[in-house]
Amino acid sequence: MSAQAIDRFAATLPAETRASVYQSTKTTHEKRTRLLFDQFPDPDRLRTLAGEIKQHAIENLDTYLPQAEARLRANGAQVHWAGTAEAACAHVLRIMRERGATKMVKAKTMVSEEIELADYLGRHGMEALETDLGEFIIQIDHDHPSHIVRPIIHKNRREIATSFEREGLGAYNDDPATITRRARHHLRHKYLAADVGLTGANFLSAESGRIALVTNEGNSRFSVAATRCHIVLVGIEKIVPRDRDLGILLNLLGRSATAQDLTVYTEFISGPRDPAQPDGPEEMHVIFVDNGRTEVLAGECREILRCIRCGACLNVCPIYRQASGHAYRSVYPGPVGAVLSPLLLKENFPQKADLPKASSLCGACHEVCPVNIPIPDLLLRLRARAKEENVPSPGTPPMAPWALLASQPTAWRAALVAGRALNVLPTRLIPVPALQAWTASRELPAWRGGEFRRWLKARRRPAPPAAR
Amino acid sequence: MLNRERTPLTGRRVQLMATCLCDAFYDDVAAATVEVLEHAGVEVAFPEGQTCCGQPAFNGGDWPASRRVVRHTVRTFAGEDPVVVPSGSCAAMLFHGAVLEFEKEPDAPAVEALGRRTWELADYLVNGLGVRTWPGRYPARVAFHRSCHSRGTDSVAAALTLLRSIAGLEVVEFGEAEQCCGFGGTFAVTFPHLSGAMGQLKLDHVRAAQPDVYVSGDMSCMMHLGGLAAREGRPIRTLHLAQVLRDALRGGEAKS
Amino acid sequence: MTDDRESILSRVRGALAPLHERAPLPTYDSEIAVLRGLLAGRDLAELLAERMRRVNGLALTSPAAVVAHLRAGGHRHGYCDPALWPDLAPHFADGFTVETSFDRTRVDDYAFGITRAAGAIAESGTIILHDRTTASRLAALAPWVHIAVVSRADIFGDVTQAVAALGDDRNVVWCTGPSKTADVEGILIEGVHGPGEQLALIVP
Ligand code: SF4
Repeated sequence: MSAQAIDRFAATLPAETRASVYQSTKTTHEKRTRLLFDQFPDPDRLRTLAGEIKQHAIENLDTYLPQAEARLRANGAQVHWAGTAEAACAHVLRIMRERGATKMVKAKTMVSEEIELADYLGRHGMEALETDLGEFIIQIDHDHPSHIVRPIIHKNRREIATSFEREGLGAYNDDPATITRRARHHLRHKYLAADVGLTGANFLSAESGRIALVTNEGNSRFSVAATRCHIVLVGIEKIVPRDRDLGILLNLLGRSATAQDLTVYTEFISGPRDPAQPDGPEEMHVIFVDNGRTEVLAGECREILRCIRCGACLNVCPIYRQASGHAYRSVYPGPVGAVLSPLLLKENFPQKADLPKASSLCGACHEVCPVNIPIPDLLLRLRARAKEENVPSPGTPPMAPWALLASQPTAWRAALVAGRALNVLPTRLIPVPALQAWTASRELPAWRGGEFRRWLKARRRPAPPAAR
Repeated sequence: MLNRERTPLTGRRVQLMATCLCDAFYDDVAAATVEVLEHAGVEVAFPEGQTCCGQPAFNGGDWPASRRVVRHTVRTFAGEDPVVVPSGSCAAMLFHGAVLEFEKEPDAPAVEALGRRTWELADYLVNGLGVRTWPGRYPARVAFHRSCHSRGTDSVAAALTLLRSIAGLEVVEFGEAEQCCGFGGTFAVTFPHLSGAMGQLKLDHVRAAQPDVYVSGDMSCMMHLGGLAAREGRPIRTLHLAQVLRDALRGGEAKS
Repeated sequence: MTDDRESILSRVRGALAPLHERAPLPTYDSEIAVLRGLLAGRDLAELLAERMRRVNGLALTSPAAVVAHLRAGGHRHGYCDPALWPDLAPHFADGFTVETSFDRTRVDDYAFGITRAAGAIAESGTIILHDRTTASRLAALAPWVHIAVVSRADIFGDVTQAVAALGDDRNVVWCTGPSKTADVEGILIEGVHGPGEQLALIVP
């Protein structure tokens, strides 16, 4: 039995779930790679450039946030600032109350998951309906998303068909086209009946105050075509300096997330509807959400704020593929989540300090990240922080005795020879947990400590004259 | 990606860092490294005081412990001569990991200097010395393991250049070669289920390609994969690149 | 209700103060993100049609072809932007009901919607809609078939050009193929909330 929660979770994941998570992440990853490398002469330069743009943006938030705010106001939008999850939820509730609104349709936004908005609104008598197909299914099942881009990657069609039947959305039918058609008909009337449409923002241009928003289903479009009030939740790290930077980032986002040149719908929204337009919001509210981001900015892992939530690092991650998203106990799973989730907890970091350990540090995430975030380095920094804060790490071998040995050559050489004990003792009798964990599933090679040094000495000793 | 600046090579003298794994288990790999370097006309020195690169503690998050070992390593490998390591992982520790954990330390410049003259073996032969073809014969189907610490470095391309140039040797491809084998240092013992599952996947892919031998520039991955395979009762033959290069000089697969 | 503006900004400033230098804004040529090999020497309308097919869209060049497509699909009831209707009406023979105002209470009655596009992007097979030129957001979105009328002269070569030309419209939508999802077992299904068919009618 493993000492680490993520390892235990992975061990008990149903084989069918693992197989489908593995298969779909692998397929998306391979398509992404082919697309980028077929189309661009130097996709790695594109990634590093995008990373530089975002790094510049987050290191100049003091300039760009007020600039974006001023532009949005000039465009006729209202801007609100929320330091915490509670503050963000409270802004939304207040805006709804002020309009006498009771029904919200929600497009997929990770920030709303992060601040648990739907629950909050529900507790305050508001209806907040998820409209992204996957998120809708999560909502009716009282489940949690397990992937940033593919929230129900852990579910199969039979489970979904059962949920639809239970919710009165037709007799059991597990054909994906039928499931989708039923959701289409159910949800379009919900949009039309809603008072408020809520979306996130993939990017916010400081130059124009434009938010850029991408979806494949068109649910955010419907939300802002059918309702009279548009609320946008935007993490303060979503800012980019200029519109032209969107040309680089949008080209990377669709390709990295779902292997599409562009996501089906890219919306650029900079204010309420045009006066001549009959449909859509007459009010637009943009809520700048901090919720731990300024603490991340102050720390040594600020590069994680470049993240554009494409999910490519999840798809390529061998750990995510084995463990699936719920193993991470967080809104943000996978490599990005292993960095971001513990950080967003601020002083409660120890609660998720195990996430950065659940990595073989293979670097595949860094290699695919469209904004070139050195995720393994950040995981290592967080491991060092956990150690510094004395967070217990079950199953991790202690390093101090080893370090002592490895900095004293004489003791080291003696230990090399003493290690030969391994060859004669049954390993299960050796009371070293790490050794037992190793040999539980693997053979240990024969101990040959000091042999190389002996060989080298013998070889370098000049041969005796008689042998010449 | 691991952008690295390097001290230009001048002479043909190097210091060998054998690695703690070869010191303890894989003496033949270290010996083969010496013979391969000497064949390439390189004079090899072996600083006796060497122990380990410091990586286990670095990855484990115990940076003070790791720095202690790195400082010892910096002292042990003093001088100007390049350091050659038969391990992409230990090399990356010196030119990347150690630099990271010394960011705020006063002796960071010495650590960075060591990183700049540290070379993984295949990288040194091909990109340092300009060796493009390797003599001898090695009639076998070889699957080459791309260890994760050589991701973003020139080591994999270098190793494949050497292997493909050997008479009789055929490099066979296998599925998902870019995926990690699940070793990951202490990860292998702290997350045994995940580590084992990743290893199994790798073994399945490699076995499907039916190589005669599975070769790597890093013995750590091989210790994990070979150990898993042996425990299943379906052992695979694993070798280090240096062993293949040396055995090619001797005209074929070693008996061992 | 307090607003956290000042506290957030002061935390931001505090976080950035210790940085010795801030990452500079890179200078770059947007050309790096352009699929030049694809665009070189191509007629943009032809390329647009080709790239739309790749994303399961369809570009047609005559009203007659649009009408034939709708008839074949059994889409007889729809909406058309009143500004476009005088030119298109002669092509719609008997058997079609076309309204020039969109009644949101009968959203399911409309099988198609015809609206003006502000432009297109050849490289990606994208239709560009602006709030000012879209007669009704819902009419361009809710019906199963959306037909966007694009003038040849408004076709951009690539994404970066289209970004440069975003202009001051408050709601610009790029549509690259029909609405779709792969949420259920990764299987691609089209027509989730928006159009199941995205057409462009390219006009001179
Ligand atoms: S960390 Fe990088 S790869 Fe992962 S979701 Fe964020 S942008 Fe995508």
